[in-house]
Amino acid sequence: MTGFRVNFEMASDARYLPVVRGAVGALTAAIGWDETECRAIVLALDEAIANIIRHAYHGRSDGLIELQCRQSADGLEISMLDSGEPPDPSRICAREVGCDRPGGLGTHIIRDVMDSVSYQRTESGNRFLASKRLRKQP
Amino acid sequence: MTIAIRDVGAAKIVEVDGDVDLGTSSTLRKTLFAALPEASILALNLKAIRYIDSSGIATLIEVLNDSRRLNKQFVLFGLSTAVAEVFRLTHVVRIFRIVETEQEALGDGPARPAGGSV
Repeated sequence: MTGFRVNFEMASDARYLPVVRGAVGALTAAIGWDETECRAIVLALDEAIANIIRHAYHGRSDGLIELQCRQSADGLEISMLDSGEPPDPSRICAREVGCDRPGGLGTHIIRDVMDSVSYQRTESGNRFLASKRLRKQP
Repeated sequence: MTIAIRDVGAAKIVEVDGDVDLGTSSTLRKTLFAALPEASILALNLKAIRYIDSSGIATLIEVLNDSRRLNKQFVLFGLSTAVAEVFRLTHVVRIFRIVETEQEALGDGPARPAGGSV
């Protein structure tokens, strides 16, 4: 085997966000991103989990979130599954950027940081997929 | 996350240490909303914040909007690199008054113009 894969099964409780940030921050550094990029990727993942807690589970702390972060041939792949309310596509990145309205910033961060992002409704639940490529310096 | 508040004349200085995320931003929100009506200037020191997410940024925007309603000044200072990156990612740099030092936040020095780079 080459590379690294980490699986989390966590309750939809914000207390566990620092645990995920610590582990995934270390993984992104090991893959090869610099400090700034590592922080951005960790933030994007944190925002995706926070959205599940807030919107899929409406703040309930007893929902299940299954998270897998996998080192791919050219970077990182993230997959998350929850069984809460499906995301409303009309609310994803619906907020105007640069304005003084609170809320709705998380999905912009995810889209800005990650190279690909998708939300799927499956028989198992809501699937969030995202990936980020490691661009080698010339 | 820990929060400390001290008075400097008619201003209040709020020092935050730690991570501001979905689990802690509500505490920061309550603290800032409680302090705002009691001060002419509410200055928030972000230097010791190791991490902030969009819920933390949303909290700051809410306080900013309330400060306008109450005709108070809400000033941010001491942005760490990590916090500045999140401000850049969320495109909110221009909406806040951001300065380098506490002295500047209290009006004793030059403020960085709105929209200045962080």
